[in-house]
Amino acid sequence: MSETDQSMLKITELSKYYGENHVLKKVNLNVKKGEVVCIIGPSGSGKSTFLRCINLLERPSSGSIFYQGNDVLDGKWKTNEYRQHVGMVFQGYYLFPFKKVLDNITMAPRTLKNKDKAEAEKEAFELLEKVGLADKDNVYPASLSGGQKQRVAIARALAMNPELLLFDEPTSALDPELVGEVLRVMKELAEEGMTMVVVTHEMGFAREVANRVIFMEGGYIVEEGTPEEIFGNPKNERTREFLARVL
Amino acid sequence: MDLKWSEAIEGLGPSLLQGVVVVLQATIISFILATILGLLIAMCRLSKWKVIRGIFVVFVEIVRGTPLLVQLFYIYYVVPLLLNHLLSSGGTQPNIQFTALSAGIAGMTINYGAYISEVFRSAILAIDTGQKESGLALGFTQLQVLRKIVIPQALRNSIPVLGNYLVMMIKDTSLLAVISVSELLLRTQTYASQTFQTIESYTILAVVYLVLSLPLAHVMKMIEKKFHVEN
Ligand SMILES: Nc1ncnc2c1ncn2[C@@H]1O[C@H](COP(=O)(O)OP(=O)(O)OP(=O)(O)O)[C@@H](O)[C@H]1O
Ligand SMILES: [Mg+2]
Repeated sequence: MSETDQSMLKITELSKYYGENHVLKKVNLNVKKGEVVCIIGPSGSGKSTFLRCINLLERPSSGSIFYQGNDVLDGKWKTNEYRQHVGMVFQGYYLFPFKKVLDNITMAPRTLKNKDKAEAEKEAFELLEKVGLADKDNVYPASLSGGQKQRVAIARALAMNPELLLFDEPTSALDPELVGEVLRVMKELAEEGMTMVVVTHEMGFAREVANRVIFMEGGYIVEEGTPEEIFGNPKNERTREFLARVL
Repeated sequence: MDLKWSEAIEGLGPSLLQGVVVVLQATIISFILATILGLLIAMCRLSKWKVIRGIFVVFVEIVRGTPLLVQLFYIYYVVPLLLNHLLSSGGTQPNIQFTALSAGIAGMTINYGAYISEVFRSAILAIDTGQKESGLALGFTQLQVLRKIVIPQALRNSIPVLGNYLVMMIKDTSLLAVISVSELLLRTQTYASQTFQTIESYTILAVVYLVLSLPLAHVMKMIEKKFHVEN
């Protein structure tokens, strides 16, 4: 806890190689508490890899990651304990299909935080309420739509009470008519002050909800700024080209 | 032809009933042990240490590459000889022997354990990496992910195959006759050779096996269906 600046997450010169393939090139990122950072960029630019490096699902090749002032790469802080503070929501939901919705949500807090069943379930019901699925506690994930699955996945991540949430294209696998319900939940979280790093192709969401937008290409952060700067007046030629293609 | 059905049933029946007890004992114990062994081998084969993986690859290949019949002979006759030889020191000569039934159970456990380990191994590998990663992202350790997320599903998904193995196992207990376990076949052989009621005896034997395995196979089908519906 030695760092004095108020960054929740401070990433410096992060690089990642897969063999010869240089996927992340000295990426820097600071995230303050309560900030929503959206990462946009073309396919293969390293967005997922970057996000996965943040919670160490991928091991960075070099660089540093400080979380709340703690070096998460120095091996003193156990990776699994660090991850309990940093939730992640995946494109493919990855609910546990052999457990009912309620148990999907209570499993981690009961096991990892020793919450008793009643308490964990009470909190799970509150979370289901929050994501608009109060009546789905007792069903298996297979019976849910994609949008509902993703909202359960968000509730499951929230059950650990994380201070930071990572989203990797949470709506990219959804039918268009289901995207809205997930984005709405994410927007509410942002309004409640949740700190979020969101990889997304939803430019509307980024423009509306993000405090800061990052454009990545070829493993570099090419441009970074407020939504107004990035969408209204992009400085970099490549950002302009990308936005012209997707908007 | 003059077949003495009622005489054969009366004469052979009580003995076969005792045989059924032996068969059920051998099957149930071997099946439980083989399942445990199979799970352990599967975990070792997925270990991050190359040596451990290697040892169990070799073990599984040896078991799968030799007939159960030969394995039974080997465990019953050869292993005690080897043990006695290895443990003999100075003048003392130990006299280790296995009972036929325990040798039989050991053989079936090892044989089926090797096959079941392959079932578990592929079931474990079949669990989506995404699920493992979402477990890790929640803060579970690798071991917790394995224990709480991967293995429960792998076990469930293996149940239909395990059921088939259980039925096969009941029938394979007939092999234990060769190492003198008094199971059904040996008892029938003895009776038939004494009475010359060969047709009756072996027909009754076949019926007993059917009565043992068909209901079980049926139950397994139902369990399988239930699991299909759930997933
Ligand atoms: N496990 C891996 N092994 C080897 N190469 C990988 C691996 N994961 C990603 N890559 C490579 O790293 C590069 C960046 O991939 P990444 O998935 O981070 O891109 P992305 O920006 O998330 O793309 P998308 O928008 O398609 O999700 C790609 O060239 C990809 O092929
Ligand atoms: Mg990606």
